Amino acid sequence: MSAADRPIPVTILTGFLGSGKTTLLNRLLKRPSLAGAAVIINEFGAIGLDHLLIEASEEQFTLLDNGCVCCTVRGDLVATLKALDRRSRDGGLPGLTHVLIETTGLADPAPILHTLMAEPDLAGRYVVAGIVTTVDAVNGPATLDRHAEAAKQVAVADRLLVTKADLVADEALSALRHRLAALAPAARQSLARNGETDFDLMDITHSAMASDAREVAAWLDISAYECGPDCAHDHPGHHHGPGEHHVHAHHGIQSYSFVIDEPVEWSAFARWLDYVAVLKGEDLLRLKGLVHVTDQPGRPLVLHGVQHVFHPPVRLDAWPSADRRTRLVFIVRDIDRETIARTLVKFASIDPASIGAPSRAAA
Amino acid sequence: MPDRSADLVLTNGLIYTLDRTRPWASSVAVKGGRIVAVGEADAVAGLTGAATQVVDLQGAMLMPGIVDVHAHLMMGGQAELFELRFSPTSSFETLIARVAEAAAGAPQGAWIIGGQWGSDLLPRLNTLDALAALDKASQGRPVMLRDDTYHNRWINSEALRLAGVSAATPDPQKGSIGRDPASGAPTGMMIESAAGIVESTIARSGHYSEAMDRAAMARSIATLNSYGVTAFLDAAAMQPILAALKGLDDRGELTAWSVSAMPAVEPSFMFGIAGDELIALRENYRGAHARPDFVKIFLDGVPGARTAAFHEPYVDDAILGCCFRGSTIVTVPELIRWVGKCEKLGLGVKIHCAGDAAVSQALDAIDVVRSFNGPTRLIHHIAHASYIAPDDIARFAALGVAADLSPFLWYPTSFLEGHKQTMGDARAQRFWPNKDLLAAGALLAGGSDWPVMPNPDPWNGIEGLVTRRNPSGEFAGVALWPEQAIDVATALEIFTINSARAIGLADTVGSIEIGKSADFIRLDRNVLETPADEIADTKVLTTWFEGRVVYERG
Repeated sequence: MSAADRPIPVTILTGFLGSGKTTLLNRLLKRPSLAGAAVIINEFGAIGLDHLLIEASEEQFTLLDNGCVCCTVRGDLVATLKALDRRSRDGGLPGLTHVLIETTGLADPAPILHTLMAEPDLAGRYVVAGIVTTVDAVNGPATLDRHAEAAKQVAVADRLLVTKADLVADEALSALRHRLAALAPAARQSLARNGETDFDLMDITHSAMASDAREVAAWLDISAYECGPDCAHDHPGHHHGPGEHHVHAHHGIQSYSFVIDEPVEWSAFARWLDYVAVLKGEDLLRLKGLVHVTDQPGRPLVLHGVQHVFHPPVRLDAWPSADRRTRLVFIVRDIDRETIARTLVKFASIDPASIGAPSRAAA
Repeated sequence: MPDRSADLVLTNGLIYTLDRTRPWASSVAVKGGRIVAVGEADAVAGLTGAATQVVDLQGAMLMPGIVDVHAHLMMGGQAELFELRFSPTSSFETLIARVAEAAAGAPQGAWIIGGQWGSDLLPRLNTLDALAALDKASQGRPVMLRDDTYHNRWINSEALRLAGVSAATPDPQKGSIGRDPASGAPTGMMIESAAGIVESTIARSGHYSEAMDRAAMARSIATLNSYGVTAFLDAAAMQPILAALKGLDDRGELTAWSVSAMPAVEPSFMFGIAGDELIALRENYRGAHARPDFVKIFLDGVPGARTAAFHEPYVDDAILGCCFRGSTIVTVPELIRWVGKCEKLGLGVKIHCAGDAAVSQALDAIDVVRSFNGPTRLIHHIAHASYIAPDDIARFAALGVAADLSPFLWYPTSFLEGHKQTMGDARAQRFWPNKDLLAAGALLAGGSDWPVMPNPDPWNGIEGLVTRRNPSGEFAGVALWPEQAIDVATALEIFTINSARAIGLADTVGSIEIGKSADFIRLDRNVLETPADEIADTKVLTTWFEGRVVYERG
């Protein structure tokens, strides 16, 4: 595959209004690392001011000084992404290396992911690099309490950027970070103080881009889902009392993982995936996985699903480590771990004895 | 102290309650449409006041009203009240003459709708000469005549014009427009899905007003009442049906409990909105006795037309060749999506499954949904649970799925003869394993599928369940898989309390118990002691719905 045919990574930037998304974007856009990147400000028809703040002109595509392309979309993200791809190939734009989509505050990132994964003309050209969610250290806790959408934005994030960290006390910041870790155990957290951060959008990698097995391991990061003594996950049947340390509405969001010892028969597993997508898609915020399939045991499949849409599985050339067990990570809303375990056994032909939580077989 | 006296007391009866804890009684008392006492004479003695109507049953058998889990009501009523009726054996000349009479009495511009012409007339009608004769007879009024299969229509030039059909109109998918071989001009013959073009034109024209729809439904329900039916499920309830049921209920004119199954996809024989669009409107059509609580999904066709989906192939055929098994219309994931969605909405799903592979797929889909979503109070139906793979028998009970036994084909019929031709004798006769289902703990529920059965007479079905022989005397001396016969007490449960459970009305109907609706039928015999081959002769003498007489045999 030549460089020109390699899918273009897309990073999605989400975060509630006032959480510092635009400030972040304004600073990041000026970095040399964004040369060759295109920034799409997705307004979905809403009346938005964000694009005015980031110094773009009325033209659909604006070339910034550092070689970054900026544009505003008022509805058709698909058409914009197609146009970007076309112009990049025509030489009408500098070689496109990355796309960054900024969503409006309330936006659910899932539809954008759906567009990228399911739109036939886009699925081969673009690949989801990751989701970055900004959380305001001052207003974040209240926003998370009030808005299930905010909790969902955190839960699906690959990276979390806590903004305005300089404006709150250390204990408050620590409590918020603990809470974010409970919602998104595998998401790396960064801080922004006085609008400055060590975080770089270009750092985000994603397995589906795919060549480097170590990146896959980092992305999957199953160890984050293991429950130690300080485990902050939600567990069915375990309710925190009112006086306890973290009494937070998680809007039913929880995460868990599975390790499967035996190789998986792909056709049965794919059928199970269909069922999950059809029946539980709405509440399956994210599914990530590395699957040991019987037909090619040396080449694991990488799974990535968001709600009812799944990326075509990517086959790695080799395992990231000596651990060749299938690993699955779920971020869900109101789906019991037991339901997933039971249906895996029943419909994916998985031996109940070979299925467990990562802590059981910690290597 | 409030007046305890009943509105109605029935005494001196042979009351078969269908309540297993108290199967027999002689008296029952009713107040406000509900049963307030059941037992012997002393149970009702204190409830008889000055205003109480007392009926001496004179030893007659009384039982709860019949519950029919599968009927199609509107079309029969419309045909009886508003349409030109002629026999399928009518000649072409008779047909033209009847249209001419109807046209003479109809206002200019009014549709003339009629049926049914025999399919054997099709080649004769599918010509420009025949069209010219029909145009002459109709004197400018639009005409649509249905055939005896209900699949095809013959219409005149004015109807073609109103439907926007011309030589330039392409054939629709799964249908065709009859054309003159020389000129390509339409002959007015609308085959299969092309029938939908003219039917939907009529539906949109407002030809059937809401008042006419209500009258047609009321007529159909009156027919049900005359056979003792006081609760039913309409198995393909389009918007006019839902509206008519709600309209009748609001007027206090609905004389049966009605549950409706809204089609997930527009059926081939009824037209209008379906699926999500129709389901979204359901609460507009809910009433005290009108419950749009089911969705209907057609998973396959029928064995005689080789459109039912089987595990084993049909016998070889010139067109389909060897090894054709039929196919399902809806994929398993799509069916899973529907069942999952319906459960979220609190709706049961009635799935038409004529072949054993369709049954397996429907059970598979329900199994998947159960496995992910856990138990539910909803009972889904496998409609026409007739050809069933042995391994699937036990799954009905395990998954809480009702076997919708309809239509009454559990005895030798012309349908069975058709199945023998397409499936071979031995397989065709493994039809309706009712006893096996029963032994496996399945909920069996009775339905007529009227008008597939020419009338919704449950006594025909009940006799057939017991004898497995055709009650009409046709196919004399032959029984269908007689090992699957069941006893009459069980058959009565199937058509009352079991059906009530299956349609979600077990708290209200299906047995004579305190608190339930006072829906009773008085019979001309004790069906439990009638010779099995005479059960179909049973006549309903009186039908009560909520304590009111809604049918009295004349």
